[in-house]
Amino acid sequence: MKEKFAGWNILFLLYLKRDWKKMMIWIVGLGLFSAAYVPAFEEIAKGQGLSGMYETLQNPAMIAMVGPTPVETGAEYTLGAMYSHEMLLFCGLFAMVIAVLHVVSHTRKEENLGLTEIIRSFQIGRQANSLATMMEVVFINVLLALLISGVMISFGVDTISVEGAFLFGASIGMAGMLGAGIALVMAQIMPASSGATGSALGIIGLLYIIRAGTDISNVDLSMINPLRWTYLTYPFTENNWMPFIFALIFSLVMVVLAFALEGARDMGAGYLPEREGRERARKSLLSVRGLFIKINKGVMISWLVAFVMIGAAYGSIYGDMQTFLESNEIVQQMFANSEASIEESFTGTIMVVMIGLVSILPIVLVNKLFAEENRSHLSQLYATRVTRSQFYWTSIGLATFAGVTGILLAAGTLGGTAITAMGDQSAMGILDFLAAGFNFLPAVLFFTGLAALALGWAPKLSKAVYVYLAYSFLLNYFGGIADLPEWLLNTAIQSWIPRIPLEDFDLLIFVTITVISIAMIVIGHLGYNRRDLVEGA
Amino acid sequence: MPEIVNIQGLQKTFGKFQALRDVTFTVNAGEVVGFIGPNGAGKSTAIRILLGIIKRDAGMAEIFGKDVWKDSLEIHKRISYVPGDVTLWGNLSGGEIIDLFLKLHGRGDQQKRDYLIKRFELDPKKKAKGYSKGNRQKVGLIAALAADSDLYIFDEPTSGLDPLMEAIFQEEVEKIKEAGKSILLSSHILSEVERLADRVVIIRQGEIVETGSLDELRHLTRSTVTLATEGDVAEMAAVNGVFDFEQKDHQATFSADHKHLDDILREASKLGVKKFESVPPTLEDLFMRHYEG
Ligand SMILES: Nc1ncnc2c1ncn2[C@@H]1O[C@H](COP(=O)(O)OP(=O)(O)OP(=O)(O)O)[C@@H](O)[C@H]1O
Ligand SMILES: [Mg+2]
Repeated sequence: MKEKFAGWNILFLLYLKRDWKKMMIWIVGLGLFSAAYVPAFEEIAKGQGLSGMYETLQNPAMIAMVGPTPVETGAEYTLGAMYSHEMLLFCGLFAMVIAVLHVVSHTRKEENLGLTEIIRSFQIGRQANSLATMMEVVFINVLLALLISGVMISFGVDTISVEGAFLFGASIGMAGMLGAGIALVMAQIMPASSGATGSALGIIGLLYIIRAGTDISNVDLSMINPLRWTYLTYPFTENNWMPFIFALIFSLVMVVLAFALEGARDMGAGYLPEREGRERARKSLLSVRGLFIKINKGVMISWLVAFVMIGAAYGSIYGDMQTFLESNEIVQQMFANSEASIEESFTGTIMVVMIGLVSILPIVLVNKLFAEENRSHLSQLYATRVTRSQFYWTSIGLATFAGVTGILLAAGTLGGTAITAMGDQSAMGILDFLAAGFNFLPAVLFFTGLAALALGWAPKLSKAVYVYLAYSFLLNYFGGIADLPEWLLNTAIQSWIPRIPLEDFDLLIFVTITVISIAMIVIGHLGYNRRDLVEGA
Repeated sequence: MPEIVNIQGLQKTFGKFQALRDVTFTVNAGEVVGFIGPNGAGKSTAIRILLGIIKRDAGMAEIFGKDVWKDSLEIHKRISYVPGDVTLWGNLSGGEIIDLFLKLHGRGDQQKRDYLIKRFELDPKKKAKGYSKGNRQKVGLIAALAADSDLYIFDEPTSGLDPLMEAIFQEEVEKIKEAGKSILLSSHILSEVERLADRVVIIRQGEIVETGSLDELRHLTRSTVTLATEGDVAEMAAVNGVFDFEQKDHQATFSADHKHLDDILREASKLGVKKFESVPPTLEDLFMRHYEG
């Protein structure tokens, strides 16, 4: 028994040393994200804010997104109750996902890369690596839980009790452990690391969707869903430690199961056999376009489905918009506009948020070409009749297609759900929503153009396009609440575009930004055609 | 004889590092040229320039009489290439990837594809992420060998292959050679080069240090001679063209420079030869001299 884990402590210390930067970002980033919004929530809670928010969150769509609360009337809804209601599920999900990525990358991925083989040739037990990784995750999540609790307590808010704060932090830390347990089991079962990550995240996604259904129809049924144990602790209201205990036991069971599975399998192998591929390629694969569609299919479908879900989630809010806005000063300030209806105002604002998300996919697709180049996947293809222009324009075409489809799906489902939720009161038609969406097409093209420019001239900078997107997204998101100066807002490309249906369509701007974007794409092409291709450098 | 590949004074610099200083060599029609040199000498860099993957800084590089950068598309219709480290898309099967390569090459031979898959014992249904290093390499080789080209460029094509598969690769290359195709073969496996190449080009630190047929190159170097004489064999140590002299009783072993072979034999016969053995240099010896020198 001891032999199997021999030397785990050496590995554990090695990992702490190797990962300390990643750990800092993980703990501080997620910790502050989970705990530091208390002052913002205090703003929201002013006046009738709490009971207004309470009403809003009774909307089934909102329950599907954030979960239920045990509080029964708006009057009893405290700041603490609202904070854990809105934040706990999402923060728990984040903690789970990061833990999954970390555990698989330290176990199965290293095994695939052959690193484990080297380590095992020293005096290190067969399962020491898994144990060291799990201990590292425990260590990280304990620190995370303590940081969250500490930060929350430090705000000194009445309704955020010390016990509640500890339960809140512990719930998020435990969510991380649940994710780690699931990931470690999948790492044993699946034949390769990508499958382990995918299946573990898939299980979490599935649990999330199942809990959305049971939360609305029957909360008791949700009690058998591991994901729920992370947020049904109801900190600051019921302070129920039972789900936490369940989650603890469940995580331990998963870890023990994973160790048993690992002990019985060969290194590099899984329990599920690799699915057989085709002996010959389908016709549809046999072109650059076919190949690029094939290798991007997974990411494209996942994002497009996400756009539909986000559109539907926001769309379902339209039914309760009136109550929501009247109850809340800060939100009123965000959406106030005397000339337009609240729905129109909301559409104009929410569209910016959705366009920010839609813009991610084209950047991913353009950057993919460099990723493929860098992994030397294309080396042998460079020597065929395929030209660089073909690689380039196929990527740009795919990205543009994804941008247009993304807008269509996001704006379309937003409109469809909104019109259904509003019923007869709806003053807006589906075309209004689509117009509001496609009004931002130049912004999406602009990000595509930036990514293309980077691809052609400075591929090492291609990740920086995400940074600019995140920056402009945040400017737009908070631009309404914080009083930011005009010039600062204008550094975000979306700020130049009027918000339909709130403001009038501006053809000049539409055309100008589109032309600039196309110019960037063409200039990027010139660079791509003449630069040295990088191969794993 | 028409030149298929013609490189003159090729130079390439990465940042401050000059990877190619002066590379000049040719591959003639129907010829197999072995391209050898130590790690980091610039073999792959030169090949990437030939393929239009990177751009040269100076010099001339032509294939089929066309510029490798400007007319790459025309050239690519008639060449095949296998890199030393074939990387593949994990979720495609080997069979799918071979089909894709052949289709994009344009002159793939289905029958030869199936024949080579059998010959190399590749399981074409397996997803590429499940392939070992050697099996990935086979996918690249099959895709290149099953395409009908006029020039085949191999950059360490057999890295990771077991000796049996290596032998099969050599047989297949010989078939291509018999069909009159040209081949540029970079390899660290000298027996492979010795068996296949008509001519060898040796590169060191971005410069071509030697080129010629194996026979020609052998003349440039020394054979290992074992000599026993009636007189004092030690006198041989002073003869012109004798190197690395070692003596054991009446028998000596030394390297004999081919240029001075005549002197050496004359001196030896003065001492009364009892035993004379000469072993020609292997490519390995040639190599060591150039790599170290
Ligand atoms: N993209 C690049 N950027 C910077 N340096 C490079 C790049 N590509 C190659 N080099 C350098 O150029 C030199 C020649 O590399 P090259 O790959 O051509 O060597 P090689 O002869 O193929 O060696 P090996 O036998 O190891 O394959 C090496 O020192 C390498 O580090
Ligand atoms: Mg090389």
